[in-house]
Amino acid sequence: MNLDFSQIIPYIPFMLEGIWVTLKFVFFAIILGSILGTVLALFKIGTAKPMRWFADAYTSIFRGTPLILQLMIIYYSIPQLTGYDISPFLSAILAFGLNSSAYISEIIRAGIQAVDKGQLEAAQALGVPYGAMMKDIILPQALKNILPALMNEFITLTKESAIVSTIGYLDLMRRAQVVGADLFRNFEPLLFVGLIYWCLVMGLTVIGRMVERRLKLSD
Amino acid sequence: MIDVQALSKKFGDNLVLSEITTSIQKGEVVAIIGPSGSGKSTFLRCLNLLETPSSGNIEVNGKNLTASKKEIHKIRQQIGMVFQHFHLFPHMTVQDNLMYAPMKAKGIRKYEAEEKARQLLERVGLAQKADAYPNSLSGGQKQRVAIARALAMEPELMLFDEPTSALDPEMVKEVLEVMKDLAKSGMTMVVVTHEMGFAREVADRVLFLDHGILVEEGEPESFFQQPKSDRARDFLDKVL
Repeated sequence: MNLDFSQIIPYIPFMLEGIWVTLKFVFFAIILGSILGTVLALFKIGTAKPMRWFADAYTSIFRGTPLILQLMIIYYSIPQLTGYDISPFLSAILAFGLNSSAYISEIIRAGIQAVDKGQLEAAQALGVPYGAMMKDIILPQALKNILPALMNEFITLTKESAIVSTIGYLDLMRRAQVVGADLFRNFEPLLFVGLIYWCLVMGLTVIGRMVERRLKLSD
Repeated sequence: MIDVQALSKKFGDNLVLSEITTSIQKGEVVAIIGPSGSGKSTFLRCLNLLETPSSGNIEVNGKNLTASKKEIHKIRQQIGMVFQHFHLFPHMTVQDNLMYAPMKAKGIRKYEAEEKARQLLERVGLAQKADAYPNSLSGGQKQRVAIARALAMEPELMLFDEPTSALDPEMVKEVLEVMKDLAKSGMTMVVVTHEMGFAREVADRVLFLDHGILVEEGEPESFFQQPKSDRARDFLDKVL
């Protein structure tokens, strides 16, 4: 065994900075994915055929191809096609947000369909308009049921975020590689960021549990 | 107030309602009875378009329901409905259940909705449960809240879809009492029910449905004493 963690000490601030860099785009990707996913889910349960068709096709494409491919297409082909020099940060938000929305839309669709049909009828019978009914009656109840699945998706997204290192975005993963190359020692920095990823996911898990408990208040 | 003309409803090839024609006057309490599967609930649900009729016409206050699909939620605001399984909003407190629709659908201000909710909960005897969540209530209490929630919209007409069928026997009375009070106050009511006692005592008119056909209608006294049709006689023999 040839382990020497003392060597990475000078690089620790550099690597810790990666937490912020990773969280920053993961945060925006989750926001984008959730909003888009909700819209797609509403398309899927709606009555308008073209919208349903669009949402299904969208899901099929983004779920049917590798995330890393989507990331590369966005990062490398947008400049080629439009001349706009897209930043790794924006590419990462787009790729992860668009990809995640496909999964989230399926989770939310299942959640909405699991809400008792009587809730919809009660709201309709009271003359509540469709939009308000979805926002105030159906989605909150759906959210309660799907929270574990949703947290799962956010956790996956947080970990998979490591593949943005392939487009040169200086996230946690990339920083571990940079340090490794600098030191000619890879195991220590990789293990170090591994620990950080684990802590991030634990943090998310705790937040998820807290939200779940709050939503259970009405039981 | 309600005018039903040759109303039919099919589910696939299954004819559930066949050419029903009747009308309901303002202030009238109408009980709909009949064996299960006779189309009672479907008929009731057509009256606020929770089911779309396959053919025929329904007019509520002179407005044709099927022709006004776009403004159906405006019409529904005048028609309260109480379900067999309550369908209270489980993530809202009792008071919020009562305040939600008046505020969202009618644009009533919060303090007015609050005041109204308080009065109604008082009326159904549940003022002390305002801050409770529906899941902590008994079946009878839930149904009383559901009635109050429908009344909060100040409807001109109330539909009841087997309001006591999901209740434990000892809770049926408290719900029926609330409904009797409501009938006395002059509310127009259409009640699908298996409570023959209630139909007899409270209803002004009884409609008897069997296999989707309106077999007989009449005043409760004569209907229960001397039903005109064999099918009604058979049914009453079984349930009374």
